[in-house]
Amino acid sequence: MATQTTEDRVSERLPLSPEEERLLKEGTLTDRAVQAHPRDYFRAMRHGDPIHYDEKLGSWLVTRHEDISAVQSDPITFSVHHGYHDFQARGLQAEFRAFLQEHGGGYFPDAIMSDPPYHTRIRKLMENAFTAHRVKELEPRITQVVHDLIAEVVARGDGKCDAVKDIAIPLTIRIIVEQLGLDHGMEEQISRWSVAVTAQISAMQSRETMLENARQIADLQNYLIAKMKEKEANPTEDMISDLVHAEVTNADGTKEKLTFEEAVSLCRATLIAGNDTTATAIGNLFYVLTTRPEMAGVLESVIDDDRQLNRFVEEHLRNEPPVRALSRSATKDVVVNGTKIPKGAHMLLVYGSGNDDETVFPDPRAFDLTRPNLGRHVAFGGGPHRCIGLALARMEVKVAAREIVKQMKNMKLAIPESEITYTPTVATRTIESLPITYEPR
Amino acid sequence: MGTLKVTMIDVNGETRTFDNVEEGTSLMELGKSNGVAGIMGDCGGGCACATCHVYVDPRWWDKVGEPDDIEFAMLDMVADVMKDTSRLGCQIKMRDELDGIEVTVAPASTY
Repeated sequence: MATQTTEDRVSERLPLSPEEERLLKEGTLTDRAVQAHPRDYFRAMRHGDPIHYDEKLGSWLVTRHEDISAVQSDPITFSVHHGYHDFQARGLQAEFRAFLQEHGGGYFPDAIMSDPPYHTRIRKLMENAFTAHRVKELEPRITQVVHDLIAEVVARGDGKCDAVKDIAIPLTIRIIVEQLGLDHGMEEQISRWSVAVTAQISAMQSRETMLENARQIADLQNYLIAKMKEKEANPTEDMISDLVHAEVTNADGTKEKLTFEEAVSLCRATLIAGNDTTATAIGNLFYVLTTRPEMAGVLESVIDDDRQLNRFVEEHLRNEPPVRALSRSATKDVVVNGTKIPKGAHMLLVYGSGNDDETVFPDPRAFDLTRPNLGRHVAFGGGPHRCIGLALARMEVKVAAREIVKQMKNMKLAIPESEITYTPTVATRTIESLPITYEPR
Repeated sequence: MGTLKVTMIDVNGETRTFDNVEEGTSLMELGKSNGVAGIMGDCGGGCACATCHVYVDPRWWDKVGEPDDIEFAMLDMVADVMKDTSRLGCQIKMRDELDGIEVTVAPASTY
């Protein structure tokens, strides 16, 4: 494990335009306008102050690809456990935890948002469910689910829909619900729960908002706990049944059952991570198809070429990464690329900026299927915490891309682009609603 | 403890030899658990991240065999460092036939 935190590596800072200087001084990720359109702010930081302290947010923003890579490959110095849990429901944490204890069956720390060696055991347990080969076996079923959902929308016959609410969100929820063994028909509820969980990630929020989110999370936990009890008694072929009976293997080869707290947290994490971010990726796909005139043609041209379609999906994830930033916390005073970060400080690895780093991806705003290094994008993070569901996410986006082209054409945005709103969170860049028109194919 | 032998040249050019490898162990698991430089194995062996990329010594290529479509799709994401003998270490599981195999860890993709 790399623990050389590159203390002596200092890469060049670039001169900034007056506008970029202003952005560095005044910009903040707490500003909803910046959250919605962060690229200029990201570029100013990446060029002039690559590890920038966003004072209003109270976080160090790591914006260059090289620094994101260095930090995420050192999980001991840069802790996910502290980065996530110490800053959850920022400032209102005690009340958040107490609320869940009282109303949500307990406060369950997220077992996967942890550090090695504990993390290694938990992660190992989850990995088999998500291999690319296992996901490939799911392709026919995923195709069926996606086909049927889009067909239902098209069958309404009015040539318009909300691409996020009618397609992207229910699509990913239907798929993860089947994998976990949960009930169909709860799309709206699960979507609300997902937003509430994501909103807790290092966000500043009012007490009122925190309590509303906590209420949603309590509901979610109560639902999951009931399901887990059901499957503990009568196991079925699904991930919840697997998790309630799962054993983790220790370094010495001995086995231990997951605790109830761990199992609840893993069911919760899989449900949320398994729908929200992929829905964002599919919503973003509709966004680029309706706002970049050449993109529909590009997609149509690769739809029957598996290799190019895989490249299309990967470049889409680089170009419009759903998760824009995730947390770490420094476990000691440390210098990264010439910037001193104090022990206990909150950091965000800004994937949305890393994927735009011109030194790795020349002309980063171009959609370029021929990039020879697509695999270096950080939309899935990297290091030991790299997204575990990455193969499933890719497959869902790929199947969605295929089915969209098969069933819809001439897609157009039905509102002015300036009216698109984004979920208020620093963690993801998620379009809330995307009304479009189209013609059935 | 197994008895199979594997030689890995790490990303810095250092030769690492292991002669007690168990059947079924993947080259990714072997490299990762022994700290072979350049073998990260981020996704845990799921053929989904290309951070255990190796070049198989041509003398062993026929026995190791071609990557399947899923593996090829991942190698294609690091096309700038892909060669004809590229494989993902997580997809090469040790077996008697591969006793003595030699591989070189591929450098990370740049552009």
